[in-house]
Amino acid sequence: METLGNLAFGLGVALTWQHLIYCFVGCFLGTLVGVLPGIGPVATVAMLLPFTFGLGPAPALIMLAGIYYGAQYGGSTTAILVNIPGESSSVITTLDGHQMARRGRAGPALGIAAIGSFIAGCIATLVVAFFAPPLAELALKFGPAEYFSLMVFGLIAAVVLARGSVIKAIAMVCFGILLGLVGTDVNSGTIRFGFGQPELTDGIGFVALAMAFFGITDVVANLEHKDKSDVYGERLGRVLPSWEDMRVSFWSIMRGTALGSILGILPGGGALLASFAAYMFEKKIAKPPRTFGEGDIRGVAAPESANNAGAQTSFIPMLTLGIPSNPTMALMIGALMIQGIAPGPQVMTERPELFWGLVASMWVGNLMLLVLNLPLIGLWVKLLAVPYRLLYPAIFVFCCIGVFTVDAKIFDIYMLAGLSAVAYVLFKLDCEPAPLILGFILGPMMEEQMRRAMMINFGDVTIFLSRPISAAFLIAAAVMMLLIALPALRAKREVAMQE
Amino acid sequence: MRLVLTAVVSGLVLLAQPAQSQTYPTKPIHILVPYAPGGIADIASRIVGAKLTEAWGQPVVVENRPGGNAFIAMGAGAKAAPDGYTLTMATVGDVAITPALFKEMPYKWDDFAPIGTISDAPMVWAANANTPYKTVADMLAGAKAQPGRLSVGSPGNGSINQIVLEWTALNTGTQFQHIPYKGGAPAAAALAGGDIPFAILASSSAGPQVKAGRLRVLAVTGARPSKFNPEWPTLQSQGVKDVDASNWTLLLAPKGTPKAIVDKLQAEVAKILAMPDVKERFAGGGVETIPSTGAELDARVRKTAQQMAVIVEKAKIKPD
Repeated sequence: METLGNLAFGLGVALTWQHLIYCFVGCFLGTLVGVLPGIGPVATVAMLLPFTFGLGPAPALIMLAGIYYGAQYGGSTTAILVNIPGESSSVITTLDGHQMARRGRAGPALGIAAIGSFIAGCIATLVVAFFAPPLAELALKFGPAEYFSLMVFGLIAAVVLARGSVIKAIAMVCFGILLGLVGTDVNSGTIRFGFGQPELTDGIGFVALAMAFFGITDVVANLEHKDKSDVYGERLGRVLPSWEDMRVSFWSIMRGTALGSILGILPGGGALLASFAAYMFEKKIAKPPRTFGEGDIRGVAAPESANNAGAQTSFIPMLTLGIPSNPTMALMIGALMIQGIAPGPQVMTERPELFWGLVASMWVGNLMLLVLNLPLIGLWVKLLAVPYRLLYPAIFVFCCIGVFTVDAKIFDIYMLAGLSAVAYVLFKLDCEPAPLILGFILGPMMEEQMRRAMMINFGDVTIFLSRPISAAFLIAAAVMMLLIALPALRAKREVAMQE
Repeated sequence: MRLVLTAVVSGLVLLAQPAQSQTYPTKPIHILVPYAPGGIADIASRIVGAKLTEAWGQPVVVENRPGGNAFIAMGAGAKAAPDGYTLTMATVGDVAITPALFKEMPYKWDDFAPIGTISDAPMVWAANANTPYKTVADMLAGAKAQPGRLSVGSPGNGSINQIVLEWTALNTGTQFQHIPYKGGAPAAAALAGGDIPFAILASSSAGPQVKAGRLRVLAVTGARPSKFNPEWPTLQSQGVKDVDASNWTLLLAPKGTPKAIVDKLQAEVAKILAMPDVKERFAGGGVETIPSTGAELDARVRKTAQQMAVIVEKAKIKPD
């Protein structure tokens, strides 16, 4: 009951005119930077930082938080429409979202993404309000051994992602891990595959990789078709999801929200893991008819709900522990410190208006985003009517701008060009990019955590099995490996029997 | 004829210089930051930049060019046109530690015209509250009993935090296991969660966890106690000789920038750092402002670089 009272108090804070306006400004800017490739939430928050000096801590935080979760909404728009994932957590949305767009169902895809995100945002806000302190404790229990086992689980699950050959999926995961190894090794400080280029000491940029494998390859592949007519134009279809779409997606949204809320609290890539996990889970358990990879609406609803829920719950470590779970959060902590507030466990008790005001504003912000985004869908869908000869060069230009603005390095554009060539060859070989991306992100994290666990425990391998959470993930990974292998084994035996 | 022309041209250049610095700045000033947004170098640039804009009416653009061991931003800053429109906000590590770690560098200290020191962030040697270590003496005794078996986290290989660790180990004849993380926040989380018994952290990231009872501060790493937490003892007062380090930032112009412009920048920045509201903003993050002259900065960097080079060599620290 106390929490309800606190929430009501928070709503009182969030619903003042001043806070409503800052919340709206944040959400609006967030959507904008999410849709526009190139300017991410980190750059936007950094640019607005001096502006927040003059505001109080509550409006500053409410606005900056709005940019952060607004960008999560906006990021999925480009993923669905033009197959460019703006953020790592919308990579998975491209799989079915863009396929839906090509089949003339861009409207329902965008609609379900917005509605799913809204439902997820509402539930996750309640999770933050009711369970923040115990969830924060859980996040602290995640040591290097737990992270390692979670990554193992994630990588094995990545194979499930593949539409086609399991062998090719494994190969792509491994190739992704290799690409991820470029750069400086955290544990020893050694530079790997750097070729003397200072730009390579931090590894290959995620944005360049994602744009090469999704945006650019998609365009090049489409150029192969002789039919140069304005393909999407004729099949724009309806703008909003039908009741049938809603009914089919409802439980996917719920499951995505649950996974996202839990994984979001893990610092470092929680929201990303959540979107992948939700998609894979859906692919396994959804009721037939299943058309995942070919524009199944559940393949959009689940990961979009998961990444938005994850975006909300990733505030938990920051608000309760003062530990940022990603660069945008680190900036928000910077903004709070400038205001004389050290984020940490005491914020909840010493500055309740800040904590509860922010929690309540997240809910208000999600509502604003829904209201803001639903009418925009019609506009976005019309964008697809733009002829290819204009749309394709625009995608190329936006990809280049996007890659360049990450760190303002020309080198990254060369990198984009090189990676695009590799991506096209892999596309022709029928190798899918999603497992590669997951390997690219999880592989280096897995290595870092494993070696750290080994260093802390002086080379004792049993640590991975003696810690219960870690052991649970490893067992789950083993079971999943069996599930992948069994159909193949059975098929072989049947062939043998027939002979 | 040519001689006359040369004389006239150089005369014009000489004339133009004072005029140029009187009107400076006439266009936006860029501050290159070798780190991603959110770090102290970035936030210091933004606070100072906002005030410079107020004073001079020209926008100050903070450009984050992270990566490559800060080579990218530092190299660009060193090679920028020496006209006062491209400055670099560096940290002590970039000018005093990195040169000791790498054989080939795209910049050196002499490529810059120092403007002044900006901010000083104290660091602490912290222990997880569930460990039995209450003082530095406890910890050193533990390290002597099991050499190399006590883990100490840091924000990365070659960080000033790691220097403190190796410096302490060298001066007390002890050995620790260094566990590098990707930045201060993950290291603080690992210490709060009990993955590692010790870490060397910025006092701002340790502070809230200390209040919450998760961490215990054994010592601050500077020679003097922190202004904000005078109750924390220094390493030196607990018997660790000579160790004196904190994470400070500095503002640089490329070498060859007209002296008048460097002086104008130095005077204005020192004025800004003395403003009560600026001090307050920095203090929010547990950071002190430390205005200085260019000469003072130059002397400090040279002295620190010498100390660091000795430690890097003796402890065989590798870059990150």
